Amino acid sequence: MKRPNLLGICCNWSPWTCVNAAGRANLHLPPNLRIIRVMCIGRINQALILKAFEYGSDGVILLECRDEDCRYGPGPEVGHSNVALVRSLLDLLGIEQKRLVERSFEAHEKDRMVEELWGFAKRIDTMGSNPAKPRQEREAV
Amino acid sequence: MDNTRITKIIRDNSLYQCLECGKCSASCPRMLAGKEYSPRLLAQKLISERDDEAFIESSVWECLTCSLCEERCPSGVNISRVILEMRSLLAAEKGLKGTRAHDGALHSWMRMMTSPELKQNRLGWVTPELKTAETGKIAYFSGCAPYFDVFFSHLDLDTLSIARDSVRLLNFLDIEPVLLKNERCCGHDLLWTGDNENFETLCRLNYAEFKKAGIEEIVVSCPECYTMLGTHMPEVIPEFDIKVTLLLELLQNEVHKGGKAFKPLDTTVTYQDPCRLGRISGCYDAPRYLLNQIPGLTLREMENSGPSAICCGNNGFINCDAYSKSIQVQRLKEVSDTGAQLLVTACPKCMIHLSCAMRDPARNGKVELPIKDLTSLLAEGIKWTG
Repeated sequence: MKRPNLLGICCNWSPWTCVNAAGRANLHLPPNLRIIRVMCIGRINQALILKAFEYGSDGVILLECRDEDCRYGPGPEVGHSNVALVRSLLDLLGIEQKRLVERSFEAHEKDRMVEELWGFAKRIDTMGSNPAKPRQEREAV
Repeated sequence: MDNTRITKIIRDNSLYQCLECGKCSASCPRMLAGKEYSPRLLAQKLISERDDEAFIESSVWECLTCSLCEERCPSGVNISRVILEMRSLLAAEKGLKGTRAHDGALHSWMRMMTSPELKQNRLGWVTPELKTAETGKIAYFSGCAPYFDVFFSHLDLDTLSIARDSVRLLNFLDIEPVLLKNERCCGHDLLWTGDNENFETLCRLNYAEFKKAGIEEIVVSCPECYTMLGTHMPEVIPEFDIKVTLLLELLQNEVHKGGKAFKPLDTTVTYQDPCRLGRISGCYDAPRYLLNQIPGLTLREMENSGPSAICCGNNGFINCDAYSKSIQVQRLKEVSDTGAQLLVTACPKCMIHLSCAMRDPARNGKVELPIKDLTSLLAEGIKWTG
């Protein structure tokens, strides 16, 4: 079976430090996971998460700082409310809500991050591919 | 750009009949809101200066498609259809453009609905007192209401009450409608943003769903779904043989037959004509007839109403900008000038867009006013008379 497409949206601060540290320590991440680095999870809105599913993601994980550690203020809280809303939309569409998760990390938690990412990859693996995969839109160049 | 196709679009929609009088530009809400936007100039460029592609593209994508210019045009040019067909032509050649509002989240879920394997959970809103049937000949099409309810939850609108009240009204008329578990979006916003391919897929999937359930008549409450199912879907599916009924027209006929009346409601209201209901479907009477049946209710028309009604500021969820906001605020001022205590609309999108403008922090609540869908207003008051 084809491996599911996984997308990680990763905050530039604590979680990205973990990803970097994991790389330096030669800890492997799931090979079917693509990570996009953004300045803050608060920057990611509902549309961007939905778009990931529209473009064929089988699972999306938001890697964010802990609420009290956000470098900008309300980033993770914005993340929580967006995840809750997009999960309701996914549920309406008949896509399992567990395909969208968020996890928060402190900058030193590289081992826990690696563990969480493998756990996520395994769970999506057992769920199989996303039932709603449309043809992609033609974007303007 | 494909010159032969453009010529065909121009011929099919009588654009060569343009007299260059400029009434279209003079009535365009975008122009009146201060934007440099001219349908007349677009007509001229399409007819004789097609090499100005940049102008044509931006004009085609920036139109509100409210059809007010079409209403004013003395030559009967079908301008909104020109825009619609030009958008699909440009999208096919150069990709989809037009700045999508809400970063395209709505278009995303509409496109996700084109997956054939989709198994939606869209009927969570059906409360036990609503009588619905598993099988039958009449279905109620709830459209995007469950999705709007989640996505626009911050506006505190409860668009699902429109769906519940529509079923309540049908139940009152002794109709137990079938609610389809897997009906999809009607595709209005995809069609109007030039995405013909996905629009046609939605049409085919919806038609298959209707046929599988043995549906012969579909009742819709949303004006956009009404034009899509009633006019555009038969263009995609030539064998389309399902009757599409607008709930308001059904109610008008039933109330006209007698035996039904409304509880008195002592209030003054004004009514916003949705462009898809009024100018596009030509339905101005049914909502006014029904509002006038409510004893004690005074309907005060806005300065621009009926065929001249001003747009709610946005269509198909593209190009929502400062000019849209300015159109909305202008419209809300017309509303408050009537002295109405309640603004009645008949389209969930008018409700969403006008509420959004009302809640604009820069307006300090000055243009705020209770807003309600006509369906809900009618469902609350309808009763049998001896």
